[in-house]
Amino acid sequence: MATKDRRHQEIINKIRKIMKNVGDDILIEGIMPSLEIPKVGYDNTVWSDERRMLTIGNKTVQIGPNSSKKIPTFAQYLVMANAIRKLLDEEMESTIRGMYYATLSTVGDEKNQQKFWSGQDDSDDAIKAIELLTNVPREEFSVTSKPKGMISGPITLSVGGDLIDCNLGSRATSQLIPTNIRDLEIVKVKADFVMVVEKDTVLNNIRKSGFIQKYNAILLTGSGEPDRATRMMVKMLNEKWKKPVVIFADADPWGLGIALRYKIGSESLSYDSDRLVTPNSKVLGMMFSDIYEYNIPKVARLAATQEDLNRANDMKKKPWLQDKQWKRELNLFLEHKEKCELDAFFKYGFKYLADTYLPNKLREAGVI
Amino acid sequence: MTSKVTTEVLEKGTKQVKTILQIAQKQKTKISYDKKAESEFFVDNSALAGFTGERILYMSVRELIENSLDSCEINHILPVIRLRLKLLDGLNDLWTISCKDNGIGIPSEKVPVAVCSFLTSGKYVEKQQRGLFGVGLKMIAAFSTKDTDHPLRVWSKSEEESECYFDLRTDIGTNKPITLFKKNVKNDESQIEGESGFKVEAVLRAKLSPVTKNKIYDYISQTSIVNPYAIITFETDEGKVTFKRRTEIMPYPSKEVLPHPSDMDLKTLKKAILNFMNQKTTLQGILSNSFQKMSNDKAKEIITRAGLPIKPADKYDEHELIKVVNVCKHTKFQSPNTDHLSPIGEKILTVGMTSEYSIILNKETANSGSQTQLSAKILKPALTAYSSRICVVNNRPTIVECGIAYGGDMPSFKLFRFANKIPLLYDEGSDVAREVISEVGINKMGISKKEVKEQFSHVETKSDRTVEYLPIHIFFHICSTKIPYKTAGKESIASEGDLKKYMKSCLSDLYRKVSAQIRRELKLKEDENKLRLYKHYIPFIIDAISESIKIDSKKLSLAFQNLAERYVSGELTNITKQIFPDSNQKRNQMTDKKNTVNNDNGDENNLNKFDKRTSVSKHGNKTKLDKINIHRKITKK
Repeated sequence: MATKDRRHQEIINKIRKIMKNVGDDILIEGIMPSLEIPKVGYDNTVWSDERRMLTIGNKTVQIGPNSSKKIPTFAQYLVMANAIRKLLDEEMESTIRGMYYATLSTVGDEKNQQKFWSGQDDSDDAIKAIELLTNVPREEFSVTSKPKGMISGPITLSVGGDLIDCNLGSRATSQLIPTNIRDLEIVKVKADFVMVVEKDTVLNNIRKSGFIQKYNAILLTGSGEPDRATRMMVKMLNEKWKKPVVIFADADPWGLGIALRYKIGSESLSYDSDRLVTPNSKVLGMMFSDIYEYNIPKVARLAATQEDLNRANDMKKKPWLQDKQWKRELNLFLEHKEKCELDAFFKYGFKYLADTYLPNKLREAGVI
Repeated sequence: MTSKVTTEVLEKGTKQVKTILQIAQKQKTKISYDKKAESEFFVDNSALAGFTGERILYMSVRELIENSLDSCEINHILPVIRLRLKLLDGLNDLWTISCKDNGIGIPSEKVPVAVCSFLTSGKYVEKQQRGLFGVGLKMIAAFSTKDTDHPLRVWSKSEEESECYFDLRTDIGTNKPITLFKKNVKNDESQIEGESGFKVEAVLRAKLSPVTKNKIYDYISQTSIVNPYAIITFETDEGKVTFKRRTEIMPYPSKEVLPHPSDMDLKTLKKAILNFMNQKTTLQGILSNSFQKMSNDKAKEIITRAGLPIKPADKYDEHELIKVVNVCKHTKFQSPNTDHLSPIGEKILTVGMTSEYSIILNKETANSGSQTQLSAKILKPALTAYSSRICVVNNRPTIVECGIAYGGDMPSFKLFRFANKIPLLYDEGSDVAREVISEVGINKMGISKKEVKEQFSHVETKSDRTVEYLPIHIFFHICSTKIPYKTAGKESIASEGDLKKYMKSCLSDLYRKVSAQIRRELKLKEDENKLRLYKHYIPFIIDAISESIKIDSKKLSLAFQNLAERYVSGELTNITKQIFPDSNQKRNQMTDKKNTVNNDNGDENNLNKFDKRTSVSKHGNKTKLDKINIHRKITKK
């Protein structure tokens, strides 16, 4: 508890420093205050060869109350910073939605009234800005999101001292990955490797087949776009517990994108890659080439939408996806204009995915 | 079971059909060929003249005002028009409408025919004019006769005549006036104060919906925009408004004009020949005297090309004359004259635009319950501009005039359409002016969609056209000897020939002219928005800071307000570049420049035509950051 207090105090001081600077600009310097925040997005995302992940570049943006657009933003950032300070002060914990409600209010007089936040997206952005400003991840603000990642297998977690055994033996359920990662500890890992899949439906199917017991594996999913806790869990298992990590996602540009979030990171979270990315993980499938190698029946393939094609073309242009393997796969997709979900293997029987496809792929990669 | 029933029914049905057919055959013999009087025809087909149920009062107001204006302008008299519309009998929907003007009046012996007999008009000439058919007043007379037992009361005083009074009704069956009563008015009973004038009072049975009522108000206020030299008083049960005279300048009246040979048809040609009947003129002479752009040589050439023998003009038969018409259709002539048209003109339209009247209904909740009260408000724009094009559309001389009034009191976007000085109020959606406005991009004003939408984000408009976010009034006036109306109702103009092209070039021209001013206005608006934002957001910022650290929040708040004001006024430029870095200085340098006199319509490239008066007054209104209450209550906690 004592260490926590100190860390909290550090963050509170950081926020106070920001407030002090703004106050000084106005009172002492007599200039428009401004917050310098690292720029987040494609044009400030840099591939690091050394760390083998996406990192944030040197570009910054100035947020100050100097344009009609930025006046509200500036106020929003300061209000959010103050709310985070209060949360830490009170030793409380909140979801990002909770922060949205805590700071909800209306602006303006009766004639020109509007909402302080136009939606939760705005307040989420403000939280992100405070992360960037203070260089502190949101977990340390005690701000989390709703858990959505799931884990199953021979691993024991401790959440705030409560032990959770994820190897429930019944094959019937998985554990949610807690998002208050500061309270989370991995106590024991008995698995040989970690398998990440894109969707919870696929995870359920694999778990039910007895895959965990047969291959002594941990199954993990982010239920689509993985949250920060899931990514951190994967990284910890790989780097701290030295377990090989393999990733399976759908054979479409979206799925490939999700798989790569784990392996190389993302543009929108490039500032936090060090905490989130697992460069040693292996994306094993489902490759576009698998559609043809495993001869997925035509009826189980889906036609690519224009959005899919645009996304694939975009991905092809990214400097960090110039690797031959990815280029080949994306070209294959653009050529055939077909995509396929992991669930498509159910066409060959409900156990085909867990009993045949996955073991084949794992064997090829030398994981089993 | 069911099928049986159906067949039975079917058989029954066919039997019935047969009997009906037989009856019809028996009765088909008699058809009577009756001639219908013009008055009866128009009463039966009142929609032709726009007199349909809801619109009767609206059309009556229109016709009366238009007649009055025409009657004044023909002799260059500054119009004074008094219009009254009062409910006479609410149970039976009876209204009294009366209109008095100071126009030339009608000679007393002509009054009954001019008021009551359809298709009697001084307006059957090729010339630009408001009314055309001479139907309006007659329609009022006929409807009054048809629906009520009240006579039409008329006072008229024409040149060198004393004032006379009539009680009239129309004999609808014969298109003839019935004079119930007639007298010379003595001085002490006189209704007409000036040298000449005309007053009519009629009782009509009509319903007046709120929509139509607003159309009447719109009609009158828009009429006053293009006739700012007229005094129009309008009195209803809701009150009385007066549109003052804002200028003494009157447009030159339009002149009668010879038809253009491209418009020639058998009828016009025969009529031309008839006109010269007694003068022993050759066909060549008649052609060159009856049509414009037709020289003697040209006329000769046409007759030769038609292959007609030379003989007295009245000896040609229709088969020969049609050849002349055909040749004319295939011959190139010079474009028709335009000098006979009467545009509104820059000076008059500018006066109208800078003093646009708008009728307001004030809901007064007095002791005796709620009561509406009419009043008129003058809207002052921040700037106006004018542009015009003289052109020929489908061989008809046409003048396109366009005006813009921006900012100031203008509450929102509005399009005004006029055809031969008559406001068009219905069917805006299908009017060519709509298309023109959608097709001319506002980037011609040097502003972007983004800027506009940012500054006017609060504006509610059904349209996604950016220009409709701006507080701008756009005026289009088309004048021509023949307006290409889309429908018989004469409420929207079709995109005929190159009309749209000319309108577009006119509007683009205007956009370019006002670009500098609009940008300046937009900058002012932006400053205003910014100050408002500061006012609203500074308390949040101050709270966030003062809750986090120890600081004198009052002092901080004052310092921030001060900073914000200085920043907006441009004193402080330490952070970012302004979008319009030079406009602040310019704003202060703006002088009170009166509207420059510049009459020529064709002179379009003169950039000094703006009325800048109100730009300055706007500057005076600049919003100041109000005192901010720093002890804002925090609702949460």
